[in-house]
Amino acid sequence: MEFRKITLVGGGGFMGRSLAQKMASSGIDVTVLEVSEERIAQAREAMANSLDDELRKWGITASEKKVVLSRVTFTTDPTQAADCDLAIEAVPEDLALKQAVMLRLDAVCRPETVFVTSTSTLSVTEIAAASGRSDRVVGMHFMHPVTRSKIVEIVRGSETSDETFAKATALARTLEKTMIEVFEYPGYVVTRAVVPFVNEAMHIVMEGVASAEDVDLALRLGFEFKMGPLEYADRVGLDTMLGWMEHLFRELGDFKYRPCPLLRKMVRAGHLGRKAGRGFFEWKGNERVRSEKEVSR
Amino acid sequence: MKVLVLNCGSSSVKYQLIETSLEQIEANADVVIAKGSVDRIGTGSAVHTFQPAGRAKITESGEILEHREALTQIVRMLTHAEKGVISSPGEIDAVGHRVVHGGEKFTTSALASPEAIAAVEACVPLAPLHNPPNLRGYEAAKRILPDVPHALVFDTAYHQTMPPVSYLYGLPYVLYSRHKIRRYGFHGTSHRFVGWRSRHLLGRPREETRLVTCHLGNGASVCAIDHGRSVDTSMGFTPLEGLLMGTRSGDLDASVVFHVMHEEDLTEHQVTTMLNKHSGLFGLSGVSNDMRELLAEEAKGHERAKLAIDLFCYRLRKYVAAYAGAMGGVDAVIFTGGIGENSPAIRARSLSGLEFMGIEVDAEKNAAAIGTEADVSAAGARVKTLVIPTNEELIIARDTVRLVAGAENP
Repeated sequence: MEFRKITLVGGGGFMGRSLAQKMASSGIDVTVLEVSEERIAQAREAMANSLDDELRKWGITASEKKVVLSRVTFTTDPTQAADCDLAIEAVPEDLALKQAVMLRLDAVCRPETVFVTSTSTLSVTEIAAASGRSDRVVGMHFMHPVTRSKIVEIVRGSETSDETFAKATALARTLEKTMIEVFEYPGYVVTRAVVPFVNEAMHIVMEGVASAEDVDLALRLGFEFKMGPLEYADRVGLDTMLGWMEHLFRELGDFKYRPCPLLRKMVRAGHLGRKAGRGFFEWKGNERVRSEKEVSR
Repeated sequence: MKVLVLNCGSSSVKYQLIETSLEQIEANADVVIAKGSVDRIGTGSAVHTFQPAGRAKITESGEILEHREALTQIVRMLTHAEKGVISSPGEIDAVGHRVVHGGEKFTTSALASPEAIAAVEACVPLAPLHNPPNLRGYEAAKRILPDVPHALVFDTAYHQTMPPVSYLYGLPYVLYSRHKIRRYGFHGTSHRFVGWRSRHLLGRPREETRLVTCHLGNGASVCAIDHGRSVDTSMGFTPLEGLLMGTRSGDLDASVVFHVMHEEDLTEHQVTTMLNKHSGLFGLSGVSNDMRELLAEEAKGHERAKLAIDLFCYRLRKYVAAYAGAMGGVDAVIFTGGIGENSPAIRARSLSGLEFMGIEVDAEKNAAAIGTEADVSAAGARVKTLVIPTNEELIIARDTVRLVAGAENP
């Protein structure tokens, strides 16, 4: 199954940009549908910066950067997004918003076009209900950054057909992702497992047992993780992390998902992690500022 | 007979239609009827360039989504009433396919059969980027031209005569027996062709000729040829090993890879791209991977351009001397490939210092030899230095003819 052209709604967000870049790098023409010219300008600049970072890391060549950028078209006009093999929504985690996107896509896209929702916590079935084509809607939960992470959770809604599921599997293959099938349930596998883990690390810091740096160091080296849970939270964004926790706490009602008070305090103070330059760690652009002590270890 | 030669990449097909026969091969009188390429396959703006011999070049653009469509377009162009060069697809007598990796299975070119194709498929893990498009091209061509023989010509086959001392790495032997981790070598068709051609020019029998052939293009490799057989070559498990190349590092202490990955926080993909696309002449000079540009920059005083060129020549000189040592002597050094054929300066600088081995270049003859066959050795030099343009498409066409006729490789 070949994907030639994919529409991405809300492709200007953090996840959307990364997904757009990965798809374009895999040879797919991507139409990014955004709400304003301002968002488009931001998204375009952010994508160019991200490709420049990859160029600095020798991951692509200058001509490959040009090719990737040339495959991405930005627009605010939904009719421009109609011609596609598949449409993906990556708008913020808000059921009403995602349903509105489905409704709008259904109005312009061909009846056979499959819609993908990238939700990490909401119900695919509920989102699909607004699409007018519940059997052709499927969930694909990508991990950030999509350009690097190797896993995707594919989620069937209660109406999702086998062909639709196969299409999602084919897209995962094209994007060189290993996929697991998950059943619709709050948090699926990845989010649900990481939330209590990150939350516990925050409690350890709050209770003064060890510094954020040492908690991350111990868990990173102890379990051969690429990064510690607090750096991960900083990278995701502490407000986003708080949102996940609140959602799981509300849905599942278990205290293990109750957000750590330190996290709330930091979000209120605007220390949102990497994007704010400060969270559990100091950040400079995309890189964590590392202390001399840590570097020497 | 008319042979369609195909070289299929992931998003491109290069092709030539060549008229050749056993008699024409003997007389070196093969005729290229037309050549062309289809680029950007898989997009709405694929470009088909077609060059019939002696006529103007034609360029067309349009949507070509896969190899089969590209092949259909190519056959349509070749047989087009006005633009074409033959009247019907029936005039194509055979198809020759370039295949990058033949593993240990293929020691020569081979006619395609279900068994042969299965064997090429089995080599995919050894060349994950190259063998799959080669196979897609074959499958497409087989559908469009089902009734003619298809030949498979491998980059690796010629080097299968290397002895274990050349092809094994100093790694646990089980890696060889379990995963076939060994040196394979590439550019085999080119080394074989210039080796054969040089013996022909020198009038020497293959049993009494030891050659060092230098294929210097954006990718570059050296081959030691004794008794007409490749006994060592500088590329290894992949084309990354050996000489400094346009954008590839060539020989490297493997520990550097892990150290750099750690220091720069690189992924496997990033470090692989670094070694293959950001290194070599380009990485060292910071200017270009093109030797012509580097020579021009060097002349203007660019220090790192000079450094890159010096490193390129120095490493080549080491390989030439090493291979002469491996064979217990050398009768001729051959230059081919874009740089080898067109850059007298690089030839002279690479060989300077090897006079003790009897290698001496005549400055005037060398300067005059650009893109043509030439003997550029100094008068009385014990070792000949030759320039021989390579032509991989021609070799593929010739191998195809020989396979169809049941004749042996030279």
